[in-house]
This record gives sequence, C-alpha cells and structure tokens, in this order.
Amino acid sequence: MTDDALPIAGDRETAREVWRLSRGHRVRLAAVVVLGVVSTAIDLIGPVAIGFLIDRVQERTADLGTVLTVTAALVVSAVLGAIGTAATIVLATRAYHAILAGLRERLVARALTLPQHRVERAGTGDLISRSSDDVTAVADAAPVVVPVVTATAFSIVVSLGGLAALEWPYAVALAVVLPVYGLALRWYLRTGPAVYRAERAAMSARAQQIVESQRGYATVLGFGLGEQRHHAVMTASWSVAVQALRARTVQSMFNTRLNLGECLSLAVILVVGFVLIEAGTSTVGGATTAMLLVLRLLGPVNQLMFVVDTLQSALASLNRMVGVVTTAAPDTPAASRTGTAVELRKVEFRYGDGPLVLDDITLDIPAGQRVAVVGPSGAGKTTLAAVIAGIHPPAAGTVKRPERTVMITQEAHVFAGTLRENLTLTAPDATDDLLRAALEVTGAAGLLDRLPDGLDTDLGGGGHELTAAQAQQVALARLVLADPELAIFDEAAAEAGSTDATLLDRAADAALAGRTGLVIAHRLSQAAACDLVVLMEHGRITERGTHAELVAAGGVYAGLWAAWEAGRDVRMVG
Amino acid sequence: MSRTDPAGLGRGPLTRWLPVVGQASAEASDVQPFETRPGERPGRFVARVILSLPRVTVPSMLLAIVWQVGEAAVPVVMGVAIDRALGTGDAGALVLWIGVLVALYVALTAAARFTNRLNAYAIQRLAHRLRATLSTRVLHPGGGAEPDGGVVSVMTNDVARLANAGLLVVLPVARIAAIGFIAVSLLVTHWLLGVVVLVGAPEAVWLMGRLSERLSRDTRAYQELLAGTVGRATDLIAGYRVVKGVRAEAEATRRYRQASRETLAGAQRNAALLGRFLAGSGAVNGVFVAAVAGLAGWLAVDGQLGIGGLIAAVGLTQALLPQMESIASASIPNLAGARASAARILAAVDDRRPVAPVEVTPAPVVELPVLEVAGLGVPIRVAPGELVGVRADDGTAARIAGALLNPELGDRLEVRLDARPAHALAAAHYRSRVTVAPHRATLFTGTLRENLTLPAGEPGLLDAAVRAAACEDFAADLDRPVGENGNRLSGGQRQRVALARALATGAPILVLHDPTTAVDSVTEQTIAGRLAGVRTGRSTLLIASSPALLSRCDRVVDVPEAAS
Repeated sequence: MTDDALPIAGDRETAREVWRLSRGHRVRLAAVVVLGVVSTAIDLIGPVAIGFLIDRVQERTADLGTVLTVTAALVVSAVLGAIGTAATIVLATRAYHAILAGLRERLVARALTLPQHRVERAGTGDLISRSSDDVTAVADAAPVVVPVVTATAFSIVVSLGGLAALEWPYAVALAVVLPVYGLALRWYLRTGPAVYRAERAAMSARAQQIVESQRGYATVLGFGLGEQRHHAVMTASWSVAVQALRARTVQSMFNTRLNLGECLSLAVILVVGFVLIEAGTSTVGGATTAMLLVLRLLGPVNQLMFVVDTLQSALASLNRMVGVVTTAAPDTPAASRTGTAVELRKVEFRYGDGPLVLDDITLDIPAGQRVAVVGPSGAGKTTLAAVIAGIHPPAAGTVKRPERTVMITQEAHVFAGTLRENLTLTAPDATDDLLRAALEVTGAAGLLDRLPDGLDTDLGGGGHELTAAQAQQVALARLVLADPELAIFDEAAAEAGSTDATLLDRAADAALAGRTGLVIAHRLSQAAACDLVVLMEHGRITERGTHAELVAAGGVYAGLWAAWEAGRDVRMVG
Repeated sequence: MSRTDPAGLGRGPLTRWLPVVGQASAEASDVQPFETRPGERPGRFVARVILSLPRVTVPSMLLAIVWQVGEAAVPVVMGVAIDRALGTGDAGALVLWIGVLVALYVALTAAARFTNRLNAYAIQRLAHRLRATLSTRVLHPGGGAEPDGGVVSVMTNDVARLANAGLLVVLPVARIAAIGFIAVSLLVTHWLLGVVVLVGAPEAVWLMGRLSERLSRDTRAYQELLAGTVGRATDLIAGYRVVKGVRAEAEATRRYRQASRETLAGAQRNAALLGRFLAGSGAVNGVFVAAVAGLAGWLAVDGQLGIGGLIAAVGLTQALLPQMESIASASIPNLAGARASAARILAAVDDRRPVAPVEVTPAPVVELPVLEVAGLGVPIRVAPGELVGVRADDGTAARIAGALLNPELGDRLEVRLDARPAHALAAAHYRSRVTVAPHRATLFTGTLRENLTLPAGEPGLLDAAVRAAACEDFAADLDRPVGENGNRLSGGQRQRVALARALATGAPILVLHDPTTAVDSVTEQTIAGRLAGVRTGRSTLLIASSPALLSRCDRVVDVPEAAS
C-alpha cells in the first residue's frame, strides 16, 4: 500500500517549489528584509534614550530640555517603529498568501489531472486531506508564523546587534545563556511534535465517532445502539483530554526552561553591569539600556521558541502539498486509440500485481448501438467500464473508443453550488435555454419548477438537498450537455427505489438517444432494452447476444431473467 | 524514547523516575451530564458551567495571581537591583538582589506551571461533561427526530469554546490582580505617576480595542472565505469520479482558481487591516510609555524620584498595557464566544425530550407480538412468524419505515404492538421487540465482527446471518477493518454487511427497508433464497421494491400511491 501513497516532498524540493512560486513577489520579499532591519533599528532608540536620560540624571546635568528631547525621541521611535514593523508584517503576509494561493491552485489542478487509477490507488481521502487540512494548516500558520519570523527575528538580531554595538560586553556575556535556550529548543523539538500529533489524532478520531453517530442516527436508533455509541463517543472524548493534558504538560515544561533562560539573562546583566561599573567602563544608564534591551528581547525569543513547532507542522503540510504538485504522471498507454466505435481486442487488466480482473475481453460496440453488461459483483464489470472509458490503461490488448467519451458512475455527486454551476461543469458557456432543455430531456423539468430559486438554487452542503434520483437526473443532464459520442453508465440507477428507478430508466434512455452506449445494468429490465447483452463472470465474457437470444439459449442469463420476471409478477394478496 | 523516558514527555535521566503529576487517568471518567432548564439564558448557562468545578479553578486562580503579579514584579526588582547594587557598588546588595530575582522566578515559574495544568484539566473536564450532555440528549437519545449535521460542529467547536470559558474564572482575575499590583507600585513610587497611568491606560486600551474591532470582523470574513475555498477543493475531489467521468478537469480547475483568487484578495485585505492595527496599537502603546517615561524623567530631574523608581516606572508601564489589552482582546471575546456557543448548545438540547440512551435486551422469541401499521389505504399486519412484504412508492415506503423507527413521530401513521399503540409503550419495551434496519445503513469504524456483533445480537446467529446476506465472498476474515463509514467495502458489500447485521440480531420483529438496492441481481437472488430460512420462527416486515425479494415473502401488501 505504501508504494501507492502519493509522495511527500523533501524539504529541499519544497524550498525549490516555493522559490519558483515566489517569482513576482521577490521585490516584496527584498523590501521585507530592508524594512524589517530599518524599523527594528528605529525601535532601539527607546532603550538607548532612556539609558541616556538616566546617566544625565545621575550626573545631575539633566534639565527640562533633556527630558523633552528624550521624550520626543521615544515618541518618534515608537511611531516610526510601529509603522515600519507593521509594514514589514503586511508585506510578508501578502507574499506568504500569494505564494500559498499559487501552490494550492497548482495542487488542485494537478490532483484533477492525475490519472484516476493513480489517485484511487492512493485513496481520495489522502488527496482531500492535502487540499483541505494541509492548506488550512499553512494558511492558519500565517498570523502566528509570519510576524514572528519576520519582525520578531529581525528584532532579535537587531537588538543583539545593537547591544553589541552599544554595550558589547553585555552581548558577549549573554552568550553564556545561549546554550540554555539551545538545549530547551532541542528538547522541545524532540518531545513536542509527537505529543501534538497524538493530540490531533485523538481529536480527529473523536470527530469521526461523532460524525458516525450522527450519520448513523437511524441505524443507532433502529438497532438500539445508543449505549454502545455513547460509550464510544465518550471514550474518544476522554482520550482527547488525556492527550491534551500531555501536550499542555510539555508546553509548561518548555516554559519552565525558557523562564530559566530569562532569569539567567537578567542575572548576567546585573553581574556584568556591576563589574563594568566598578571598572568604570559602563554607567548605570548603560546597564539600564542593556537591561531594557534584554527585557525587550525576551518576549520575541519566547514567541520564536513557541512558533517553532507551528512552523514545523506548517512545513510538514507544505511538503505534503508539494508532493502532489510534483507527482510525475505515468506515461499514457499507447494501446488506446480513438475512433467512431468501441473496439476491444484481447484486453487484460490487473490492479498492480494482483490477479487478472479482465481476461481476454474482445468486444465491439458499433456506433449508435447500446450494450448492457450484467453479472455478479466482482465479475469485473466496473473495471471493464473504466478501461473502455480510458480511466484504467489495459495491461494487454488494445482499446479503441470515440474521442468524446463520458462515464457516469453510481456515485452521483452533487457539487456545492447552484444547479446552474452543477450543470455548466461540462458546458461552461451553455445558455439557460440549453440547460433547461437538458433537464427536460432527463425528465427533470418538474424538478426545476419545484426548486425555490430555479437554476440559481444552492445545492449540496447546506443548500437544497436533492434526492438520490434527482441527483442522478442532474448527472444525466450534465451528460446531455457534454454531448459525448460514447456514454457509459455504471449502475446509474442502482440506489433508487422502484418508482424512481422507472423514471431514471426513462431519463437514461432519453439521454442516450443518438449515442453509442455501454450500460452496466443493475436491473434486468435495463438490459432487455439494449441492442446487445454481455454476461460477465470472473473477468471473462461468458455469454453474449441479444436479450431474446440469451433468454432462448437457456444459460445463466436466462435463469436470472426468469427469477426477475417471477418477482415482478407477485401481486398483492392481503 | 521509551527506555530513557517512559512517559514520553521528554524527561531526562534526572527527572524521569519522578511521577508525572496532573495527568488525566486513561479511563474515561463517568461524568454526570449537565442539567438544562427550559428557557435558560445562555449567559446563565455559561456561568453555571464555568463555576461547576471550583475545586480545580479556585486553586488555579490563586496560583495564576502569583504568576501574573510575579511577572509584573520583574522590572521592579531589576530597577531596584540596578539602583541599590550597581549604583552603589555594594557586592552584598548584588548577591541579595540576584537572590530575590531568582526566588521571584522560581515562584512565578512554579505557579505558572501548575495553574496552566489545572486550567487544562478544568477545560478538558468541562468539555467532556458538555459532550456527555450532548451525547445522551442529542446524539444518542432513546428516540426523537434525527439531529442534523450541525450537531457535529456543536459537539466539537461549540463545546470547546464554552469549556474554554472556564479560563474566565482564572486568568482575568489574575490579570486584574496584576494591574492592581502595578497601580499600587506606581502610586508608591510617585503618586502623580500612579494617577497618570491609571487614567491614561484605560484610554490607551480602549483605543487599541477600537482598532482591533474592524480587524477581528474582517478576520472572521476572511476565515469564511478560506473555509469556502477549502470546502470547494474537498467537494471537487470528493466528486473526483464525476469530474473525471465527464472530462470536466479544466472547468473544475478554473472554478477552484477563481475561488482561490477571491480568498487571496480577502487575505491581502486582511493583511492591510492587520497592518493598520499593528501600526496603530504599536504607536498608542509606544506613545503612552514615552509619555510616562518623560514624566518619570522629569520627576527624577526634579529630585522627586530615584533612579530605581525611574527604571521601575518605565518597566511597570510597559508591563501594564499588555495585561489590560489581553483582557480586552482575549477575555471579552472569549466570553462573547462562549455565550454564542452556549446558545447553540442549549438550542441543540432544548428542542428534544430529555431521554437517555436505551439499553436494549432482546425479548425472548416465544412472546412474538403482532405488528400493525395503520393509517395507510391498506392495513399492514405481521402475524407471529410471518414474512410480509410491503411494496410502496419511495415516499410512502420511507414514511412507513420512519414510523416504525420512531413511532412517536408517526407522520399520520400509527404503529401497534398487540393492538397497543407503540407511542404509548416504553421506548425500551418497543425497541426490545422491534428492530428496524434503515435503508441508509451506516457501518461504524472497526472490524466486520465489531459491526456484526451488537449488544442485542444473538451470538449463535452470526454465521447464519453472514451466509444469508451472501457475504461469504468477502467476509471470510471477520476481523478485517471496514474503514471509516465502511469505505473499504464497495457499496454492495456495505449493504450486505448491514443486512447481515440486521439478521444477526435475531430480533423478534425485524423491519428491513430496501436492503439490496446496491447488490447485483445475481447476488440478490441468492439473498432472497436464504432470507426466509434465517428468519424462521420470527416475524419480518420487508419494505422493498425488488421483485426477487418480494417473490419470497409469505404475502405482499401493495400500498397504493394514493394512500400517501
């Protein structure tokens, strides 16, 4: 299974991709660096000015003018520093979001153009999580990470630089404290991520339990599973509590280590200040400047320490996103050609190294004809449809199909959005009249009248919910609008009940008019209406002929048909 | 990791043998759900919830006060140390004040550590209890209408938000204590400084609050845009087969790009507002501190204030604004969010009867009651041991199944057991006799066996049920996981497992609703042939459209469409 998973990019590959996407934002990024350095340098004026004032007070040379000058310097540096820092953060945030938007668009575009068999081997769940959870994780990291990585990092560098320039012995002495922070960070990065991962995993397991109880409400009620499900949800809920407490414990242990660093830094300033002042190489004002600079450093340092793990998990998400973008598409098989009719010659197919799912299939569907495929589950019907549609490349043999081939599967997904948006997926420029006509063909004109806002009615998540049959009608209307030469239905009406099924049979019939058709039939009445019926068992075609021929031949199909007919004749007794 | 650090908490060789305190026990503790009173106001409910755990929150609050006041005292201690030790060159004073500094850090660090743990425990405990409330009352009641998908968000987001309000009895109190400490320290330093700061600080905080309002409104709008774009990607990929099937890749990509660009525009606008807020609040903060520093400087020049007082005044003022700001920007929104969430939780709980999950013990088969459904054009009656088919249009079939699942919601239909209306019977009594397998069956994460063995199931029936539902081709290994929502199985396989589950209950009366619509016709024939056998001696009502299934019933009731 691991070979099938979509790849995860390495850090270097991700950096390359992000650098490529940053094209067009590089001037902005350069401005971030310049502005960041300048504005944090302006910020340094504050502590220096206060130190200057203290020395003048001590020397008793200060007057009102000194105080006013210092106050003015403080005000100017505060205002300019705030504006500069804000501008830095805005520029960096904008570049971040622009690059992220480029990446997520490439991700979805790539995901949709990957060969379907590649995606299905990996599971669509992984792709969904990369295009939703990971995109959200990276976007949500912006307000946490961007200010810290730009403004805060600059402020650390510039404050330390300033300290080194103004009162260099203090800066040298602070180097003693660095290992404390280094060890704390190393400890945190070793311990934190696993604990946070466990917390997130517990949270998604809890959400899953809740979703299952809600979706399965009827099942829970019908089978009296309330106690059992309540217990499952509460167990999942408590395991989040256990993991959350572990995570908070790790955070507070990290905090303790950071406080140790803080306390040491301040003590070092006092000791060094004492020695320097005794030696006459520093003043009380200088020590105050150093102390204020260090106090100002501590906040950003703590912030930086705490965002390192957000940064790490955002990077992990980025790697997963870039992994999709850089997935190489396998070569398109040369065995597929286009033509007006469907021609399969000695086609074989297997999933990976598994057993043959399709074995020696030869089948012709002349243009305009309709073929039904019937057979038990696991006979290979759906695989055959996917091979004809060009979704799976055959392992052996040749497949020829019309250029415009469309397949409708049993999952009639209704996309979130209006009915119009659902229909124009296959015909972006279609007029309303065309859309109405397509709905008319599939017998859904009545549906349109019942919808509150007609074509503009919101469907899917949160909007007007369509029944399974209506969703199929919309899918069929989409097919009419796509106007293909070959239409493939994979058990298109499987989920509907009796009355709806008849309706859908008629709709499918109308949608297929004038096209070549392949129908994976669930109800035998569908098969009876086709030009040719093919019975599949164990990946092979075992019977083929018209409905009448097969019934007359008295084989497996004839037996199925007899049972079907018998059921249909049951009438009410009481 | 486990050898050096058994708890997985990154403890080193010195500390790893110490017990880990303040953790949650691995076993889910049994909590009493919150009582809710009809018509209770959300604000009152918030108060009741956050005051419900005083044995944790009160100690936590006291520790938090130590922590916050300690943080505020750091610049004061530093100012005094510089003044008394560095200014005088007294080595004894230096040692003394470093000692004070270290003691201060030890106290505030320990207090912070324990208050944070206690808070985390309180929040998780409250969340767990709220979830228990919603689980028994909304998600797993003994009956009543189906909760919509919104309950998932209520049980995750709203519960988290309301439980988080548990912090309100801890942090704001501690912050107010720290503000009081700062104010008193400033007043002691010089009365004028104290007055200026106490008058000016609220103004400054109010200004910052005004600046942040617009930003937080816009941030919510942007987050909605982002959620929309993310939702669109999920939607497109969930409909992957449809997009591929109809070759709409380019159009789908174009639509996603459009949504993504709108979100990007929102993010850019939000960044601009963030910038305005940061510039504004930074300037307000800086100017305020500059003004206080200027005043303290003048008082020092004038000889009314020592150097230590000057340093402490600047440090204290810098520490004051963040305290006030976090009350304005964290605690007040926290309370507002908690009230909104409390309202949603109450709304979810309020509109249904307070019923707990029903413990179902199947009644012995000897007492088979007669099941009747009245209110249709034709009566439906299942005599003991009968297999009765019902053929109806989809809408009517759904109504009949719904009435049997939830007799009290009836929808103009009356369900009777031995001529007694089911809605008048105790829920446990009804459900121990009638098991309803809904058409839209859900499999739960776990193995096939876990899905097939129910509390009310009959162990001996399992194999027969698996065979009757024609699951032999994929259910050879019952310990195989079915995946989330059974997504490791095909649609037909899921439906057959659901049918096997229904048959394995051995329920006295079993109601099946279109159990084979996703099963191929060949397998459906097999199932139809085995159904009667596995239900021998019990009653079965089969609402179905499949001719294959109906042909094997003892008799079939045709419900005319007009009857609905």
